[in-house]
Amino acid sequence: MAESAAPGILRGDSPGLRLARRSLALIALCAVLLPFADLAVVAHDPWAELGRMAAGLALPHWRELSSPLHAIGLTVSVALWGTLLGVLLGFPLALVFFRSRLVRAGCAFVRAIHELFWALLFLQVFGLSAVTALAALAVPYAGIFAKVYAEILEQTPAAAADSLPPGVGRLSRFVYAELPLVWERLAAYTRYRFECSLRASVLLGFVGLPTLGFHLESAFREGHYHEAGALLWLFYLLIGSIGLWAHRRLLPLLALGCLFLLGPWPDVDAGLLWRFVSHDLWPAPLLNGDPAGLVAWLGAIPDLGPAIGNTLLLGLMGTVGALVIALLLWPLASRHFGNRASRLGGSALLIGLRSTPELMLAFIFLLLLGPSMLPAWLALALHNGALIAFLAARHADGVEPGMPDLTASGRYAYELLPRIYPGLLALLFYRAEVIIRETALLGMLGVATLGFHIDSSFQYLMFDQAFFLLLVTAGLNIVVDAVARRYRPREVVMDDPCSR
Amino acid sequence: MAPALLSLAGEDVGHGNRVILPRLSLTLHAGERVALLGQSGAGKSTLLAALRRRLAGEVAWCPQSHGLVPQLAVYHNVYMGRLERHSALANLWNLVRPERRAWTEIGQLCAELGLDGLLKRPVARLSGGQRQRVAIARALYQQRRVFLGDEPVASVDPHQALRLLALIDARHATSVVALHQRELALSHFDRVWGLREGRLVLDATTDTLTLADLDRLYPDADVPPDKPADEDAHG
Repeated sequence: MAESAAPGILRGDSPGLRLARRSLALIALCAVLLPFADLAVVAHDPWAELGRMAAGLALPHWRELSSPLHAIGLTVSVALWGTLLGVLLGFPLALVFFRSRLVRAGCAFVRAIHELFWALLFLQVFGLSAVTALAALAVPYAGIFAKVYAEILEQTPAAAADSLPPGVGRLSRFVYAELPLVWERLAAYTRYRFECSLRASVLLGFVGLPTLGFHLESAFREGHYHEAGALLWLFYLLIGSIGLWAHRRLLPLLALGCLFLLGPWPDVDAGLLWRFVSHDLWPAPLLNGDPAGLVAWLGAIPDLGPAIGNTLLLGLMGTVGALVIALLLWPLASRHFGNRASRLGGSALLIGLRSTPELMLAFIFLLLLGPSMLPAWLALALHNGALIAFLAARHADGVEPGMPDLTASGRYAYELLPRIYPGLLALLFYRAEVIIRETALLGMLGVATLGFHIDSSFQYLMFDQAFFLLLVTAGLNIVVDAVARRYRPREVVMDDPCSR
Repeated sequence: MAPALLSLAGEDVGHGNRVILPRLSLTLHAGERVALLGQSGAGKSTLLAALRRRLAGEVAWCPQSHGLVPQLAVYHNVYMGRLERHSALANLWNLVRPERRAWTEIGQLCAELGLDGLLKRPVARLSGGQRQRVAIARALYQQRRVFLGDEPVASVDPHQALRLLALIDARHATSVVALHQRELALSHFDRVWGLREGRLVLDATTDTLTLADLDRLYPDADVPPDKPADEDAHG
């Protein structure tokens, strides 16, 4: 009788091993490239600074807030109307999404640029105004809504429409036999996107719009940690209580009220706007038809190669970091591990990290650790890792272990992880698009990614260069998304649009 | 004999390029009530779909999956039977505020089907039998000459099945109904079409048939014919 030898490390054909090999390859790639990243800790005493921040968070000074209600009102108004406008623009596009290559390409493009970059662009024309804030949210969201709505609509069960008598018009068929069947899913996604827009609206403060983020940034920057702590608590309160104040029935009233809080409205000079769009955004040699000049113009862009390299590297590091964090943290919020108190604390930690935008996390780490890639890496890994961990924990909670008496490590490795890992990895690959978009953005904090050069080009009023770099960023994002899609596990069990 | 509504002479019937009922020949006469029998997967749903395509504007259609929209009220689901007879604008407004005449008419129809008082209830909150009756109500509301039903009385008790078939008969001179109750086929219909493995093996008036003839359509004797395994929609 021939006894077969036990297979070598990670040898085998089970889907789990295949995914493990894929994940380890990703981690190995990241480890090899890590020496190229600038990970120095520059701050002289990060622990003391961290202590002061923690004290600020523990003992917030509510009285020092100058006009928190106005900031909150504006934050909510921008988020709400930005989302509503995004829906209004995106829904019609969703109806033609799969029929028009042009619409798909356009949506991919507007999606690929972060809200804050859109804000920087619109800022040049509309100034620090409500139009800038609304457009910065509505434009990318239109692209996102178009895609996600189209995917949801595509999955409408056909039985109801098939049973209609012949000759029913397109619109009637849609509102009776299609829309009601997917309404819940559309609404759930819109709700999730509103939550995202609330975070984005806060972030708009980082480019000078007077939302909550504006006050947060200045409080942190000036070291007023007790004031910053109060603002941070306000922010968490706002996000945590969405279910209360953004109730379905309250929404029309809320939308109407918010309309009055929006402002200021700019005086738009049509001539200036046209000049900006037709002239300022484009390189002069291109407009003059001068190919040699265009090459020189391209050559004059500083550090384009390193910027792209840094963006990709940080994106990879962020993705791998998120994977590691997710694998470590998901048991904290799962019913299969720990006790009631540990689960409550774990869930709070994950939700807190998930709710804090990367930019804000990175900003806080930057104050602690000094300017390098490290703060950005930590922020990307923690935020996205926590988000994935939370969904993975919910997924694991739906699993009934076949052998409930196993030890914790046995449960983790044999019962639960094999079941949830494909979904977890699929989520991570979906998330890669978001991570690379955020990576570019974190350049605004001084990390030498594309966003750093976009930000400084805008500051030096070199709009042609800024716009070109935005196009490069969008292109990079689309490529990364395509690659991630290629390597995503197919057997998706956690495909929830509310994670993208 | 009554005039033929539709005749097939050696035609291949199926979905797209896939032929499920090769070289099929049959005639549907006006005024005739036909029971369609056969095992799961014998091709009943395919045949009904083909009849529906060919008789397009003349049939009231009651599919096996019911084709109901669970999120909409009973009233709206029944109203959908006449969606093509109103403008898109009228249909939209009807979602917001039910049209008065349609409401009365559908109310009466539902009362006859034992659905009184349920007009405003979403279909999602009905029982299986109630949903089946809503699907029949929708078909009746279409007011067509020919009724085509794919197991329209599958999930109701025998007593109620008789009542529903009587209602269908009262409003349609001609009908083709897929069934799995063989006794009902003999007692209630004029003709039986029996399908077996994609062929029409039985086409006779019920006065010449016995239950034993029908049993031959179900070669798997182990499987009780009145409890078919879940038949897929294309049967």
